[in-house]
Amino acid sequence: MRTDDDIKSLHPLEVTVLRRYGVGDVLTAAVLQADLGLNVGQSNQALSWLAARDSLQEHNRRVLTRYEITELGRDYAEHGTPEERVQATAREHGPLPLPRIAELTGLPNKDVGSAFGKLSKLGILGMDGEKQVSYAAPPGPSAAQADIDMVRALLRRAVSAPQGLLEENELAEDERRLIGEISKKRGSAGAAFRVVESEIVEYKLTENGMSLRAAVEAAGLSGEEVGTLTPAMLREGSWKEKSFRSYSIQVPPSRILIGRRNPYCSYLDQVKDKLVSLGFEEFDGPLVETEFWNSDALFMPQFHSARDIHDVYYVADPTHAQEIQEPFLSHVAATHEDGWDTGSSGWDYGFDRDFTRRLILRSQGTVMSAKTLHEAKVPGKYFGILRCFRYDQVDATHLSDFYQTEGIVLGEDVNLRTLMGMLEMFAVELAGATDVKCVPGYFPFTEPSVEIHIKHPELGWFELGGAGIFRPEVTEPMGVSVPVLAWGLGIDRMALMHLGLNDLRELFSPNIENVRLRTGKQAG
Amino acid sequence: MPKIELQQDELFRYSGREFSAEELEEALTMAKAEIDDPVDANGLIKIELNDTNRPDLWSTAGLGRALRLYHGSSAAGTKVGVSASSPDIAGRYEFFSRPDLPKAVGERRIVVDSELAERRPYIAAFAVSGPPIADVLLNDLIQTQEKLCWNYGRKRKAIAMGVYRENRIQYPVRYSAADPDSTTFVPLGLDAELSLRQIIEQHPKGREFGGIVAALDKFPFLTDNTGAVLSFPPVINSADVGAVQAGDTNLFIEMTGTDLKPLLLACAIVACDLADAGYTVHPVEVEYPYDTPFGRSVVTPLYFQKPVTFELGDAERLLGAELHEDEAVQKLSKMGVRAETVSGRITAYPPVYRNDFLHPVDVVEDLMIGYGMDAFPSEPPQDFTVGRLTGSEIFSREVKTLLVGMGYQEMIFNYLGSQRDFIDNMYPDDQRAVATGDCVRIANPMSENFEFVRPSIIPQLLGAESVSAHAVYPHYIFEVGKVAVRDTTNNYGSRTVTALGAVVADAEAGFNLVSSQAAALFFYLGLEYEPSVVDDPRFLAGRVAALLVKGQRVGVLGEIHPQVLENWGVTVPCAVIELDLDLLRTAGDLD
Repeated sequence: MRTDDDIKSLHPLEVTVLRRYGVGDVLTAAVLQADLGLNVGQSNQALSWLAARDSLQEHNRRVLTRYEITELGRDYAEHGTPEERVQATAREHGPLPLPRIAELTGLPNKDVGSAFGKLSKLGILGMDGEKQVSYAAPPGPSAAQADIDMVRALLRRAVSAPQGLLEENELAEDERRLIGEISKKRGSAGAAFRVVESEIVEYKLTENGMSLRAAVEAAGLSGEEVGTLTPAMLREGSWKEKSFRSYSIQVPPSRILIGRRNPYCSYLDQVKDKLVSLGFEEFDGPLVETEFWNSDALFMPQFHSARDIHDVYYVADPTHAQEIQEPFLSHVAATHEDGWDTGSSGWDYGFDRDFTRRLILRSQGTVMSAKTLHEAKVPGKYFGILRCFRYDQVDATHLSDFYQTEGIVLGEDVNLRTLMGMLEMFAVELAGATDVKCVPGYFPFTEPSVEIHIKHPELGWFELGGAGIFRPEVTEPMGVSVPVLAWGLGIDRMALMHLGLNDLRELFSPNIENVRLRTGKQAG
Repeated sequence: MPKIELQQDELFRYSGREFSAEELEEALTMAKAEIDDPVDANGLIKIELNDTNRPDLWSTAGLGRALRLYHGSSAAGTKVGVSASSPDIAGRYEFFSRPDLPKAVGERRIVVDSELAERRPYIAAFAVSGPPIADVLLNDLIQTQEKLCWNYGRKRKAIAMGVYRENRIQYPVRYSAADPDSTTFVPLGLDAELSLRQIIEQHPKGREFGGIVAALDKFPFLTDNTGAVLSFPPVINSADVGAVQAGDTNLFIEMTGTDLKPLLLACAIVACDLADAGYTVHPVEVEYPYDTPFGRSVVTPLYFQKPVTFELGDAERLLGAELHEDEAVQKLSKMGVRAETVSGRITAYPPVYRNDFLHPVDVVEDLMIGYGMDAFPSEPPQDFTVGRLTGSEIFSREVKTLLVGMGYQEMIFNYLGSQRDFIDNMYPDDQRAVATGDCVRIANPMSENFEFVRPSIIPQLLGAESVSAHAVYPHYIFEVGKVAVRDTTNNYGSRTVTALGAVVADAEAGFNLVSSQAAALFFYLGLEYEPSVVDDPRFLAGRVAALLVKGQRVGVLGEIHPQVLENWGVTVPCAVIELDLDLLRTAGDLD
């Protein structure tokens, strides 16, 4: 069945060809060039497009052999072949020695030699004891003499043929034999002709082509349809007389480069927006921090194994902050030593007030939770997606710097049950969890602590994050007396899934093409 | 977080029951433990312990004990306070002394030299006797020693442990400070005498742990009354008394360290484990010539932990549920914690092998686990609060929208990089020292690839160009992110800045293009700026401008110097813009 779309998608060249030819016509590029005045490229395009539509069928494929006259051949055509010239010179000036003939004819010695050989066999030239060459009248018309004359005729015809080409199948049998003898294959010098072979594909209209042709006629397409609507047509109103060609809408469009967000950044933004929608206020802080805020304020003892030189990056210069804000320093120091007023026994060691000023690269997002406490509102909810640094060998699952998502909730009445209620809300809203389970967890700065495991529709069960109620040793030195829920979520695993990646390093890829081609799943 | 490897059968024996794989996974949550590697063909299972304050769980016996108390058949009906005089809930560990109630030790004494006071002052010890020790127990004991001394004892700095054949020892044992060069013995693993100094220089354990004592003028040294060498703590045992083998029936176990309480706890844990394994524990008296928190004579294992008392109401507020006194006491017993209540006040006694009750909240967590998570149904948060992004984030998003509108692809990079990336590729020789001085450098980098915090986004944009020559041009890329710059006026000596960096890489990229884009950006941000001549070797001279807003420099734009492009291996012209968004955001308020 023929559809309108097929007709509309025809290029004007195709329309022109379809309208010109009918059943039984043999179409080749040369035919189209001759009949329709197209150039080689247009002819070949029209044929291949129509063949692709099954409107033309390959009917024959043949090798066309042609002979192209060479520069040497043109010289022979003008001044005669060596045989002719040697014969004429001997006749007019002979007898002469061969070198002298070469001089007079201007031909190379070897050409003169081979011409003499041929002519002496025919009895036209002879050589005496003195090596003098002389002309002898031919015994009569011979086949050999006819050949010499025929070559001469072929050369003359070739000179006047278009592009100096003679088609093999337009030559007589004798001519074909002769021209074959004096031609060399493409590229060699020293011959009067060179052989040029090319493949000619002949097409015929198929039934499909005939019905398309009928449809073109019925639709009144002329092949004169306009491609582009120009400003001039609009200014002059000439568009009214034009008919506009329909485009082939199935052709794959060409690629353009657009401005675009990075899908990982967009994902982080979505998480931020979601947390804001749940009533959380964002916090942020410096990449360089002190041991005080990074760990001491979180009641991690200064001898804690996670505070080893091999766990945290130390800043080379300056090594220490000038000061730690009071009264927080004194409160925290006393809390570590003997519990201060927090009801704790403390860690029972001498707090190092020098070490606490040591500058490091922030190793956990909880730093900002600690720093926010003293100025936090009650009730209040806070979060941050913060770049943190770890002393880790970089591989598919570890980065030296990465994002942590952390936050706190302050309220008179928050407790373990509301903590788990909040975690379940995160699980559903941020991760699309279908099931949620909390188990006891351990974090140095929360008590009690829980881990939240969720069942993700695609990833299955995994640990979404950890949470707990800040220890009084963390909150009271900051002047906070209400319970504070603290939580952290591991969103990178979901980010990788969202982006179809499985290597954390890819999140920060410098490869522009990779980033251009990377797409996240649609939000919603 | 420590991981232990153990025989699953042994664990079940200590637990008093067997568990299927799923049951075990679920059962372990009460100990904050997870299966790291499931049980293998040899019956070995690997378990990760998450609570760094519970070293008592880092052994087969300890973990099995916790599972037995919580999940065992007697768990529900455990009788409380079997022995009022015993700190332990089941009265199993009668060998513990209390500071005011020392057990009899017979001849088992350690005499401490006064010279240790400033060096490695504390030692705790006990002896055990029982059936010939089996390989599996010996392996477990070695693992316990490793985990305790490595994770809890900070790689032997705070706690080092030694195990000896007791029948080779003549009491009293002497803990003294020895001359590193003139004191010699045959260390475990060798058959020649070495001096203590040679040991820390040559023996594998010496090279690993010698650093703990290397700076001391005299090294800790442990001998018996005849002078036979037990060990050179915290480094290595002797090859004689210190070479324990399967089949031994009497062991002497000691620990040395810098802090007495962690040392006493570690000693208690190992003693309880061996008691659970069927051995009789014999206390040892340590005689100090100097004061300790528990006097000059300390008999170990010692129950030194203090009970914690609090209002049950405080626990109810934290857990969000009503608790009943008797039930609370019973739930704590499942955690191995003996408790008493008096009119709404609860007193919890830490088990002899635990010292993690710093604050009542620590007992509240044991209540949570004792009741089980199901006892605390979740509840949605009630408080209304207003959510909002930071001003910096809102402004950054506005800038990103404009950059995307100008055809830029957003990138995101890591913040750490190398000297080569951030300095050498960007600056000529004579300016690198100054440029390095402006960077935040890491004193202990893991690799030179991650030695600096980036001072600018430009190097990483060029780094992206250097690996993206195959991507169709033009390249328009940008990032909004943090950079850190040195600032002597800042308390931290540096400042973290939110910055925009953008690069165009294209045959047509040049000053005029980025200049027009900067103009568009400032227009839509509602700011006026002035370009000003600046000397910056990263750019082609005369094709770089500092951008000033109200006289304050907020950024730079221009054509990257061809030498810089060559350094990066970039063969396409690049023009960049970099702006300090924190300054831009507040520039509207400037006068």
